[in-house]
Amino acid sequence: MAMNDAAARLGLKSGLALADARAMYPTLTVADADAQADRRLLEAVADWCDRYTPLVGLDPPDGLTLDITGCAHLFGGEKAFCADIVQRLARQGLTARAAIADTVGCAWAVARFGRATEPQAYTIVPVGGAREALLPLRLAALRIAPEIEAGLAQAGLKRIADVIDRPRAPLAARFGEAFIRRIDQALRREDEPITPRLPIPAYVAERRFADPILLETDVLGTIEALAQELARMLERRGEGARHLEVALFRTDGKVDRIAAGTGAPLRDPARIRALLAERFTAIGDACDPGFGFDVVRLAARTTERCDPQQTGLATPDHAAELAHLIDRLGARFGLRRVTRLVPQDTHIPEFAVAAMPASDLILRSPRSGRLEGWPQARSLPATMVRDARKSALLPMRLQDKAILADSLCSPRPIRLLGRPEPIEAVAEVPDGPPVRFRWRRVLHQVALAEGPERIAMEWWRDQNGRALTRDYFRLESREGVRVWVFREGLYGRELAEPRWFLHGLFA
Amino acid sequence: MSAALTGPALSLSLPGKPGRVGRGVSIDSGRVSKVSTSPLGVAEGSLRLGVPALDAALQGGLAFGALHELAPAGALQLGAAFGFGLAIAALAAAKDGRQVFCITTDFAVREGGAPYGLDLFGLPLEHLLILRVAHPREALWGFEEGLKCRALAAVLAELPEEGQAADFTATRRLSLAAETGGGLGLLLRHHRYPLPSAAVTRWQVAATPSAPDRFGGLGGTRFDLSLERNRRGRCGRFVADWNYDKRTFLPEALSLGMAEAARDRPDRTQQRRTA
Repeated sequence: MAMNDAAARLGLKSGLALADARAMYPTLTVADADAQADRRLLEAVADWCDRYTPLVGLDPPDGLTLDITGCAHLFGGEKAFCADIVQRLARQGLTARAAIADTVGCAWAVARFGRATEPQAYTIVPVGGAREALLPLRLAALRIAPEIEAGLAQAGLKRIADVIDRPRAPLAARFGEAFIRRIDQALRREDEPITPRLPIPAYVAERRFADPILLETDVLGTIEALAQELARMLERRGEGARHLEVALFRTDGKVDRIAAGTGAPLRDPARIRALLAERFTAIGDACDPGFGFDVVRLAARTTERCDPQQTGLATPDHAAELAHLIDRLGARFGLRRVTRLVPQDTHIPEFAVAAMPASDLILRSPRSGRLEGWPQARSLPATMVRDARKSALLPMRLQDKAILADSLCSPRPIRLLGRPEPIEAVAEVPDGPPVRFRWRRVLHQVALAEGPERIAMEWWRDQNGRALTRDYFRLESREGVRVWVFREGLYGRELAEPRWFLHGLFA
Repeated sequence: MSAALTGPALSLSLPGKPGRVGRGVSIDSGRVSKVSTSPLGVAEGSLRLGVPALDAALQGGLAFGALHELAPAGALQLGAAFGFGLAIAALAAAKDGRQVFCITTDFAVREGGAPYGLDLFGLPLEHLLILRVAHPREALWGFEEGLKCRALAAVLAELPEEGQAADFTATRRLSLAAETGGGLGLLLRHHRYPLPSAAVTRWQVAATPSAPDRFGGLGGTRFDLSLERNRRGRCGRFVADWNYDKRTFLPEALSLGMAEAARDRPDRTQQRRTA
């Protein structure tokens, strides 16, 4: 059982059975513990602490560890730093105890078990003073399990001073290596890294405001100013941002993070602003300024090499403009919605072309417009025809070439249905093309047919070996509508009664 | 060193506008003709389709920097209408090597399939950028952004059903965006839209039986094009064959009778002739 201050004033104690407490005060208000809500709150506070240092580690259930190496002087020294944190958290309605020490273990111990002198709720352990600060504290301050503490208490060891200079071997033998390691960590005999909650960005620019800003134009203006700072940093290293993130710290402690990816390394401040403005529009009301933002931070999470390019005087820079368009569309709809079609190495029609995010395929040279890593197109009649002509016995006429190209890479529909639609088809002979078919309740008479093009399913794709062979036909109806249909399964061998499907539309 | 000296140090040119001298006048095969500098974005130049009858009706070709509307003539002619849009886009892309931007919605893809074998149809896949959105409104937003971008030769957006989202105001807005970017705006509606729109031309497209090849198989794609609305000239009905191998329309198109010019927006050539 945990309780609040009011309950403590009544004389209740943590760990008391609920039934006993109710017996004493029948009107007690009781709520179930919500560990997840606690965790969310802790994460929100950790997010907020990001304004002090990018290295914030969670210490559940109720603690945070901040690595403030090189940060304190930005806030006017360690004292002012601590006072600022505690005061701002108090304004948010949170009671916090803070401690700064040389080691994580020592700070943990002093924050929880030290005697902070009122009214200040923080303790600063001077450099090299970890040992002295730890000596008078209870053993629980070493982050050890309660049963170890109880065991030590039975041996008459209650304070850290009682164990700190004892021979280590007997203690380790009786209470485990972990106990000794905790002592070492607190005294910096052993390193203890902080695991940051969020990845640390490569480049960061931020701005703080005495008065919080509210308007979107102000926020965007700030972002552009920060982007200029960021651009200078990126330019010095010859890099461009691929993934940007804006963190908006609201005065009441909530932190909004807005991220945007780019298709090509980006440095231009105006474009960064436009990109994030697009994100704001896409998010809409989800980003609520509340009482305003007092810190705005722009970070480049991922960067890539970006060499300066000579722009032409007369010709507009099409590649850059296209990249910007992709970024803006990506910011609005998500980069996965802006795609290019990439041929795949398979015969199965539905897998033969994959829609890949355009931002992943970088144009190699803006002039030629070829894509980097672009697979050879399936249909290159010129080379194929040349190869075929070498093997052919007779010299070919011009119109035969087209036919050969046609048979080497048979035409594909310009629209492919995501799921083949069943049709009713009537064929003259079992293996032949249909003479009429009904699709979406309309009956079509077939005037011309081409086929079959037999496509066997790839055995490694289906687990039961039950995928059926397809015979594809190109059909032209009497009205001129052209469709791509297939019969699934071979008569007699695979199925007694094969079914027909319509898979695509030709022009 | 010598190579550097022989080459031109600086070349200033206006790409994609050969033979163009000044604004409003074009030199075309030795004949100087006046190009109307109307507010319809006509001055941006035109895309010659390569079919004399069609190009004549369009006063030299499909206007760049303007919006054109396509609709299938029947419920099952979506493939034909999309194919005609693609053919135009492929022609525009082949002209100056810029990219083609294709916008579809989730519903349109479920209904009529996703773009597929376009390289075989004449549009190289590396020239194609595709955006798929959830809602027609978003498609219009993407359409406008695409039209404003000067790096695109053509933007082909398709709207499911009649595309009610693209009403007169929206199409006017899109036309203005197209004028800014100078690309070809192609709006494909899945059904015919009966209400007015600000597009420069409106087409109804159907496939028509092709001439079978030597072996009795399917011939090349043949479009039956009804030019329903044309702000630059007469309307009419044409048949055009698309050769996807060479990426051209075959020049010997049939014209199936000319209709009168649109009544609400009279044909300017007519006025000039009478005046």
